[in-house]
Amino acid sequence: MIPLRRNIVVIFAISFLISLILIIADRNILSSSKDTETCLSCHEDKDLTMEKNGKKISLFVSPEHYKSSVHAGAECVDCHLNYNPDEIPHSKKNELAGCNSCHDNLKGIEKSVHNKVNCYECHSKHDVKPVRLIRENQTQSCLNCHKNKNIRKFSTSIHAKKNVGCDDCHKGGHQTAKISKNEVNEVCGKCHNKNKMAFKNSIHHTVMQGGNKNAPVCTDCHGSHDILTSKVSIESEGCLNCHLNEKLFPGEEKGSAKFVAQYKTSIHGLLRKGDSEAAGCVDCHGDHMVQTPDNPASATAKARLLETCGKCHKETVEKFKKSKHGTEYLKNSDKAPSCVTCHGEHDIKSTLLSDEFSKVNIVEKCLKCHEDGKIPHKNYQGEEELISGYRNSVHYEALKKGNLDAPTCSECHGAHEMENADNPESKISKKNVAQTCGQSNCHQDQKRDYLESVHQKGISEDNKDAPTCNSCHGNHSIVTKKSDDKLAKSKNLIKLCSNCHSSVELVERNDLPTKVSETYNESFHGLATRGGYAEVANCESCHGNHSIKPSSDTSSTINKKNLPKTCGKCHEGAAEVLFTSKIHVSDTQKDSPWVFVVTRLYMILIFGIIGFMVLHNVLDWKKKKKIKKVNED
Amino acid sequence: MKTEDKYLRMSANERVQHFLLLSSFIVLVITGFALKFPESFWVKGIAAVIGQNTFEARGIVHRIASVVLVMVSLYHVYYLFFTVRGKQLFKDFLPNRQDVTDFMNSMKYLIGKSDTKPLFGRFSYIEKMEYWAVVWGTFIMGITGVILWFENFFLKYVTNTGMDISSAIHYYEAILASLAIVVWHFYFIFLNPDVYPMNKAWLKGYLTREQMEHEHPLELETSEKQNTDNIKENLSEKAKDETETKNIAVSETDPDINKQ
Ligand code: HEM
Ligand code: HEM
Repeated sequence: MIPLRRNIVVIFAISFLISLILIIADRNILSSSKDTETCLSCHEDKDLTMEKNGKKISLFVSPEHYKSSVHAGAECVDCHLNYNPDEIPHSKKNELAGCNSCHDNLKGIEKSVHNKVNCYECHSKHDVKPVRLIRENQTQSCLNCHKNKNIRKFSTSIHAKKNVGCDDCHKGGHQTAKISKNEVNEVCGKCHNKNKMAFKNSIHHTVMQGGNKNAPVCTDCHGSHDILTSKVSIESEGCLNCHLNEKLFPGEEKGSAKFVAQYKTSIHGLLRKGDSEAAGCVDCHGDHMVQTPDNPASATAKARLLETCGKCHKETVEKFKKSKHGTEYLKNSDKAPSCVTCHGEHDIKSTLLSDEFSKVNIVEKCLKCHEDGKIPHKNYQGEEELISGYRNSVHYEALKKGNLDAPTCSECHGAHEMENADNPESKISKKNVAQTCGQSNCHQDQKRDYLESVHQKGISEDNKDAPTCNSCHGNHSIVTKKSDDKLAKSKNLIKLCSNCHSSVELVERNDLPTKVSETYNESFHGLATRGGYAEVANCESCHGNHSIKPSSDTSSTINKKNLPKTCGKCHEGAAEVLFTSKIHVSDTQKDSPWVFVVTRLYMILIFGIIGFMVLHNVLDWKKKKKIKKVNED
Repeated sequence: MKTEDKYLRMSANERVQHFLLLSSFIVLVITGFALKFPESFWVKGIAAVIGQNTFEARGIVHRIASVVLVMVSLYHVYYLFFTVRGKQLFKDFLPNRQDVTDFMNSMKYLIGKSDTKPLFGRFSYIEKMEYWAVVWGTFIMGITGVILWFENFFLKYVTNTGMDISSAIHYYEAILASLAIVVWHFYFIFLNPDVYPMNKAWLKGYLTREQMEHEHPLELETSEKQNTDNIKENLSEKAKDETETKNIAVSETDPDINKQ
């Protein structure tokens, strides 16, 4: 066995020698100027350049940056391989160290889009930063390279403002990846989960599931990097981009590009150019959860239209809800109209400016549904009247001739607030008809007269028998044209008044003067009219029309005081004192006893004298016949 | 027919008067009742022919006819008082006691209480009734008609009550007059078996001897007596006898009574 002490000495000696050799060797390397200090002694000169392919390249390396970089511990030659200090340039082959010779555990990088990109593009060359710092400035470093227009928009996007970086979507680091269309929703959904879920309920999502390649994802509407949030831009970049494309949405049906294109000339479409308040696609269709109208959940489904339109047109919708249309609508009646029934869908026009809502044309809108409808009560001639009878009316005729004062449907029925006549609130309820017909611009004089009349008195007392405008003039087919046929007019008028005034029931119920029609018809006036003479007094000639009053009223045309004037229109000789008995003598005995006496007397004379004559002559005839026979025999 | 002898009944003048009277009267009846019954078939028929202005035309024609009637009536009054024949006519038309007896006897005869028919002179009670009825009627219709015509003027005097009365009288008198003419006058002129089918006196002016014998035996008697007086005064008594015989021969007796 070798003694322990000697062994230790040997080991020491050898170690010393090796160390010495190593140290000397080391000194040799340093002395051969391969250390970083030596490199920097030249390269710290800011003006150090070289020329390559005619370009000046700066060869400056900031020692401070280098020394504070994470690579401070490494030597230049660790990266700059094949270095030869004596040659300039130092290496013929500018061969850089593969970063992975040291960093050999970079997982997934080969899958990254940056696989072929030099590490230093991100990590920089000499002032290699710690990962932490790179992360912090990731976006900036991405944008250093990614300078295309689209991506540059990112800097001004809402994401940029809210510090959402590239890596938040693209993962970043060595895993940085492109985002395929399929992944977009998930990527966005990481933050925008609610919208993602909403989107999953949309028609867009449904068709995407069905394999439609054109179905949009988040970025199709919001853009990828500029991230649109303004409604107007989303719609024009997003919705309209596809929905105006006739290749994607052919035809002319609902849903076609042509159909959607109507929006551009709609009042919504026109207004929004200057005013982003006007309804755009999403205002009606909803945004992420957009659905076809046949889906009950859709904002454009019939059942939800009031809610949708009412977002902006609140007052109008409230009126509508109370209307007959509205109450039916709320009952989910199939027949009930909704906003779009009258106003259209994409082609919604201004009711004030558009021809479609001109007074003449609006009629067609209403008649689209009401063409065959009947007015629920018979008219003054006891006939059923069609709603479309309006087409024969003076009102419509005047309208067609361009008289814009003439009323169309809405003047009398109201537009959104239209109501059945039996609703007391309705513009056409019995109590309101006069106000409706007499609205400003219309029949104000007639209204004023009518409001003084005994007929109106009845109306104000809720008397169901009392007539108002339409009771006499009819409803839709109002034809009080200035008729040339005076006689027909006169006869119609008499028939009209007789409708009520010779109805026994009605006369009794209201304690009206009796037999006015009969007595008129038997009077010379009545006989003449019946005989076809137009220039003779009818009801209106004496009683007036709208302001009809009972004879007891001193301002009545048939008050005794006024009779001379009234009758004097035709009979010059008329004077107050001359009216000594009733005109409509319904009860001769009471009202005109002289006539009664004369009539009785003549009855007796006629029956007596003529009776006697008949008897006398029958006997005479028999006698003479008999004698003739005897004489002949 | 016993004889073709002609006995003058209506002179040409009278026939013209009668014709104007009857035509204006008939026109008045038609145009008058046309007002009252505008919906009746005959008025509609007329209207269909005349057309639109039927009613006005009716009024105008009624007034024209009424003027004719009134003029004829006024002439007739003149005729009665200023012509020889008219004076006689008026005298013969005046009712007298004999008419009452005639009427009573006639009634008795007609109901079978008596078997002799009273013998009538120039105008029987029947014709006198006819005549005075027309006089009365024309008077009433004229007055009330004029009131109705000039209503503006008369209203001042008669008030609306007066107008109503006038119109009532005018109407009922029209009925009475029309019925009287039809039942009374037309019977005796057309249906009366003695003259059937028509008494042509209003056209030709004369009656046949047979008609005279039936209707106006006393007149016939006087006229024949006059004739005889004139031609053969001395034969007057014989002629009278003959007439009497004749009267007896044609005296109309009730066959029923004869049988008894
Ligand atoms: C077509 C219709 C008429 C015919 C055919 C007719 C015919 C006659 C005839 C034949 C006579 C003579 C009778 C006689 O004495 O033997 C007569 C007399 C008379 N007629 Fe008529 N007549 C007509 C209408 C009228 C009318 C409408 C009136 C008056 C409103 C009228 C008033 C008279 C009068 C007052 C006399 C005289 C009295 C009389 O003889 O009875 N007639 N008519
Ligand atoms: C004598 C002259 C007569 C005159 C001036 C006269 C005049 C009138 C007048 C002014 C009327 C009022 C209606 C109208 O404008 O037409 C009238 C009605 C009438 N007239 Fe006469 N008329 C006369 C004779 C007659 C006669 C003779 C008859 C028939 C027999 C007659 C029958 C009628 C009838 C039925 C009416 C309708 C009465 C009514 O319902 O108011 N008229 N007449």
